[in-house]
Amino acid sequence: MRGNWLGHTTGLLATGALAALVVVPLGAILVRSFSGGSTSVPGFAGGPLAVLGDPYYLGRIGFTALQALLSTILTVLVGLPSAVLLARYRFTGRRALTAAFTVPFVMPTVVAGMGFLALVGPNGVVGVDLRNTLAIVLAAHVFYNFAVVARLVGGYLEGIGPRLEGAAATLGAGPWRTLARVTLPLALPATLAAATLTFIFCFTSFGVILILAPAARFATLEVEIYRLTARLLQLDAAATLAFAQLVIVGALGLVYTRLQARLAVRVDQQGAAVRRPGPGGTALLALDLLLIALLVLAPLAALVVQALLGHDGRFGLANFAAALDAPATIGFTSLGLAVRNSLTFAVISGALAVSLGLVFSYAVARGGWRALDLLSLLPLATSPITLAFGYLISYPLLVTTVWGIPVAHALIAFPFVTRTLLPALRSQPPDLAAAAATLGAGPLRTFLRVELPLLAPSLAVATAFAFAISLGEFGATLLLSRPEYATLSTAIFDRLGRPGAANYGSALALAVVLMTLTTVVMLALQRRVRTEF
Amino acid sequence: MSLHLRSLSKRYGGTVAVSGVDLAIERGRTLALLGPSGCGKSTLLRLIAGLERPDSGSITLAGTDITGLAPQKRAFGVVFQDFALFPHLNVARNVAFGLVEQRRDRAASAARVAALLDMVGLAAMGERRVHQLSGGQQQRVALARALAPEPAVLLLDEPLSNLDENLRQGLSVEIREVLDRVHNYAVYVTHDQVEAFSIAEQVAVMRAGVIAQVGTRDELLDQPRDAWVARFLGHENVWEGEKARRVAEWVGVRLEAGDALLLRSDLVRLADQEPSRTGVEASVTRVEQRGLQWSLELAVARWATSIHWSGYAREFGSPPAVGDRFTLAVPPGAWRRLADATPTVAPDAYTDSTVTADRG
Repeated sequence: MRGNWLGHTTGLLATGALAALVVVPLGAILVRSFSGGSTSVPGFAGGPLAVLGDPYYLGRIGFTALQALLSTILTVLVGLPSAVLLARYRFTGRRALTAAFTVPFVMPTVVAGMGFLALVGPNGVVGVDLRNTLAIVLAAHVFYNFAVVARLVGGYLEGIGPRLEGAAATLGAGPWRTLARVTLPLALPATLAAATLTFIFCFTSFGVILILAPAARFATLEVEIYRLTARLLQLDAAATLAFAQLVIVGALGLVYTRLQARLAVRVDQQGAAVRRPGPGGTALLALDLLLIALLVLAPLAALVVQALLGHDGRFGLANFAAALDAPATIGFTSLGLAVRNSLTFAVISGALAVSLGLVFSYAVARGGWRALDLLSLLPLATSPITLAFGYLISYPLLVTTVWGIPVAHALIAFPFVTRTLLPALRSQPPDLAAAAATLGAGPLRTFLRVELPLLAPSLAVATAFAFAISLGEFGATLLLSRPEYATLSTAIFDRLGRPGAANYGSALALAVVLMTLTTVVMLALQRRVRTEF
Repeated sequence: MSLHLRSLSKRYGGTVAVSGVDLAIERGRTLALLGPSGCGKSTLLRLIAGLERPDSGSITLAGTDITGLAPQKRAFGVVFQDFALFPHLNVARNVAFGLVEQRRDRAASAARVAALLDMVGLAAMGERRVHQLSGGQQQRVALARALAPEPAVLLLDEPLSNLDENLRQGLSVEIREVLDRVHNYAVYVTHDQVEAFSIAEQVAVMRAGVIAQVGTRDELLDQPRDAWVARFLGHENVWEGEKARRVAEWVGVRLEAGDALLLRSDLVRLADQEPSRTGVEASVTRVEQRGLQWSLELAVARWATSIHWSGYAREFGSPPAVGDRFTLAVPPGAWRRLADATPTVAPDAYTDSTVTADRG
């Protein structure tokens, strides 16, 4: 089956698409960061050293790394107990809970940000204003990423099954000793992988910072690149920072794939039955769930409550009504337009991401284009702001059309799509395709009649993932956006930036709409979601 | 002094895995649990180890009730079917795992690990990662790890089933030697009767969650309790119901209603065409070669049935062929009445597959 015409065609297509949509923009950033852009003298005078030597920017890199490290440690501390408990105990509502864990991860940044504002912002439900503190940034990052730890580590432990812990028990180790000597060491590679991924996500944090801690001292690299590009128009400095971030995140991305490869080797045993918790286990489980519920539900609940609470203090739909008939004259995006734009972009980018993902996965799994797999890491290492910035400087004409945003969204969703489709395609027994061939089906017919139908469940998951990612995407959208292309995310941010309780109320209402849309998409694939990071 | 299981039962949802098992395991006499896959033998082993809680029944060790005792408190040595070696620890640390739990001091523990690795022939492999070992080596590590804390009871769950044929023979001899030396309570689960008989003094045949019969090799082969056990152990000449009654009448064996009839064909000899007063005439209807053995289907007109017979070339002048006539010398002791023919549970898939052996 290796190297048939379909494999070569898809390989060429995927290479071309990734080259044009990722390699060229990143190359443009690289060139720009070294050459100093339009200035005709290629040299280092005003280039990378100047920016990276600047103590201010060094400080930004330092802060970005520090907050990511702290966020990661906290996230692992919160996520690990859930991972172990979920993997080892069977209890009522376990499936629903596992699905609920995914909610924060796919919740748009803007929604999470608004949720935390509603909870502990200036006019928050709790009454404590934590805006512009490190604490609120860390809390939002834990909210965002603990599911990565819980599901990645939990899924891994579940795959190993409780056999080894059983073996430890027969050798005299009690529950806590088994946890310390077997379970946690076994979970180490998965924990490291999850921690690396969390670090990457927090390192490139954008929306959370912009909404919850807009003060300059909390700016991450991603925020700094955005400001240099959109506000100060210092594209050369932005290119240099983007390049620096690309190198750091790319290196971490490599570490992550290395760790992930180790996971694939280790999970070779069948998962066995998990048991119901005893009294001690029940107590731990209850405690853990309570903590998670507080972390996950509190911001979202606060968001809904505040959105329904008009500025006169009465419950009602006043905020929603205000969001609906926005005065277009002064640049407000109405709720209707924002929803329409968001859905349109989500549909287009979902179709793009899944088509590209299919072509790519076929080329890698069936066409023998192994090296392509490395290229697919590039989008993973590329933050939304970096990607959008790359488009701005390499395809200035594309970004003026309606296509700029959906193409960027598709590329952002691409790693998630391939991580779903590629393993599914690879796990199909090769004999199936061989059987189809012996029955007279060529590569394309085999793909259409055998491989594609078998991929259907994974395709559904990938599509929904891409859809949800586009729906909630903020950074790239913000950088590429024009008023007529405003999405729910950017409209919320726009309202938030304008003074007055009415605007804040509209922002809350829009956030609730976005949250509901995302939840509906997630519910649609609730049963099928597997951890495919 | 014994390990006693009393009316032990375990069900998973609607499936009965183990049902009312009574067994006594004597010190120094290895017991094998022999049965087809899915008969509940592994579950029974996990119940003994404490990895599963029985729904009812009790387990006592030397008079002490241990039914509710956690597995780590029992600390019975278990050799798992897939070995369950800890992938994050090297060979020596795997073996030392239970010793650490016993808080043994470092030097004593290291010495014991070295001695055990030496015993299983892996003296130089202590630093290896477990995934660098072959299947046979992993099996030895699993055995050494289970033995290290000197457990009161050693439980082995199909320890050889994941290994290839050549390895199994050698290792089963080694395991037998180790069990003889350790001289404690040992239970060995297997689906392979050769393995069961070569390793254990006592064999409990298990079927669909219940113990069908317990005995030594000779007891089980000579007097299987019912048709199912007889066929499971490889007897080919078993008759049930009307057919059993008819054949028994011909050969003069008394059967009660519901009994089955067994002919131990290994006691039957073939005499060349000479008719004799004690013999019975038979003609070959099918010839099959199984390795060095010849397997014949013989029609016996006088009994109005066919029997299966196996033997080596030395029994014949020339290779047997369909149509050859022989006289069978059947000693009176070759017939067995299987008194307990009523199946204790509904017939399962395994009876179906063994029925084909009964072409008589």
